[in-house]
Amino acid sequence: MKNYKFIKNDKDWQNFIKKEKLFDRSAKPIRRAKVKGLIKFAFWFLRIYVIVMVVLIILGFLHLL
Amino acid sequence: MAKEIKENEKVDIQEKLKELPIEFRLRAIDRLNIRELRKKKTKFSKFLLLLALIGPGVIVMIADNDAGGVITYAQTGSIFGIGFFIPFMLLMIPVAYIVQEMTIRLAAVTGRGHAELIWKRYGKFWGAFSLGDLVIANALTLITEFIGITFGMGLFGINPVEAVLIGIAFISTVTFGLRYHKWERISLVIAAFNLIFIPLVFFAHPNWSAVANSLSTWRVSSGFTPLFLYVLLASIGTTIAPWMLFFQQSSEVDKGIIPEDINSGRRDTLIGAVVMAAVAIAIIILTGTVVYGTVSNGSTASYNIQFIISTMGSKIGSLPVDLFAIGLVDAGLIAAIAITASTSWAVGEAFNWPKSINLPFLKGRKFYIPGLVSMAFAAIIVLIPNIPLGFLNLTVQVIASVFMPAALLFLLLLSNDKRIMGKYTNKPWQNIASISIMIFLVTASSLYGVSLVFPNLI
Repeated sequence: MKNYKFIKNDKDWQNFIKKEKLFDRSAKPIRRAKVKGLIKFAFWFLRIYVIVMVVLIILGFLHLL
Repeated sequence: MAKEIKENEKVDIQEKLKELPIEFRLRAIDRLNIRELRKKKTKFSKFLLLLALIGPGVIVMIADNDAGGVITYAQTGSIFGIGFFIPFMLLMIPVAYIVQEMTIRLAAVTGRGHAELIWKRYGKFWGAFSLGDLVIANALTLITEFIGITFGMGLFGINPVEAVLIGIAFISTVTFGLRYHKWERISLVIAAFNLIFIPLVFFAHPNWSAVANSLSTWRVSSGFTPLFLYVLLASIGTTIAPWMLFFQQSSEVDKGIIPEDINSGRRDTLIGAVVMAAVAIAIIILTGTVVYGTVSNGSTASYNIQFIISTMGSKIGSLPVDLFAIGLVDAGLIAAIAITASTSWAVGEAFNWPKSINLPFLKGRKFYIPGLVSMAFAAIIVLIPNIPLGFLNLTVQVIASVFMPAALLFLLLLSNDKRIMGKYTNKPWQNIASISIMIFLVTASSLYGVSLVFPNLI
């Protein structure tokens, strides 16, 4: 194993692990975002966009077949 | 006292590494090397550090020049010449960079992939919607990659079954047989073959003053016809695809980047964006010089890749055609490797499974299987006789066009989310730029999606 001069003792190793975040960062739970204001509006736009596009695509594909 | 002894005790790094789970053990070795390079201040060590931190940005951008992309650029040059699309591709460099840069920050700060963040921050509905769309679009895109691989190998006399088997063996060996560091380095080598399109330009002996002139005049040779808009939208769709956001964020997480590495990630992405545009421009100049103008305006022959290849063969010889075929196969392979990994990462993140290319295949089989299944599905579809490949290609573009606004909206919301990003949220100029790009891409991709199923609408 290569010798890494910046890790001399256990404390250096622990600092290295902490600094490089060498642990499962996904284990820390994250809270669900509050959807309000402009974001709520954006989500409604997205829903409508998806529905309109899906309908257009179904019609288009039926037209093509 | 005991603590003091422990602090002064010489540490056995090998033993310490063994205490870490396998995926973190391999990542720790990579990070030890990076930290060591960071400590050195010589120019050579800085150069080595740059090389060590290059990876996801270059891979994602070059994989974006996939088999479908290469064919689109070849068609673009042969239909419209070089007048409009060279400056257009240069404009795509900042567009691609600004969008992908957000994924670097998200990965470095949160340590989570895009699918996981959408699922956890915006709930199961949007999480499942994004994941479902991504997995379907990826499987269908893989079909187009295998089409490119079989077509390219076909030019060397390899039959489709053999071509697909060679493709599967190659992609499987790289994706399931190598751990992250080697997977990334080998992927970079494969990506480097994408540069093969650049020297091809010199076989065509282009009129360089016309190329330079296109940058100052930036005009559309045929005017704004429906065909021009169609090709324009296809080129935009080829430059930014939803899988790229998921791929780069997951890849940066698996590489183990931390906020300290954000600038290196940016350099990596910028290099990738420049190379992506250079390759695209090379293909456009090649076909724009050799094929453009050989058939009358409006003839469908100029869209046909067979016609483009045969015209190139008759005008500039067989060597450039062989190199073009190698480039096409390579484009299919690098994109298939990236897309297969992107599927595995996204499913792993959504279902909270172990999710790292550092996992050996058997230990991480749950993680690898979604990618393996999508690759096998694509390979089988390509081999079915008389399968409507054109229809499938169209479907993948349509799905991407539906998915694109959602993917960009989540990217923008997450990048502005103070709770998870802290001081690394978008700056005002980044929001202005990314919202403008988003409006442009959403308009373009929805117009493209609609135009594919209603060709007479534009």
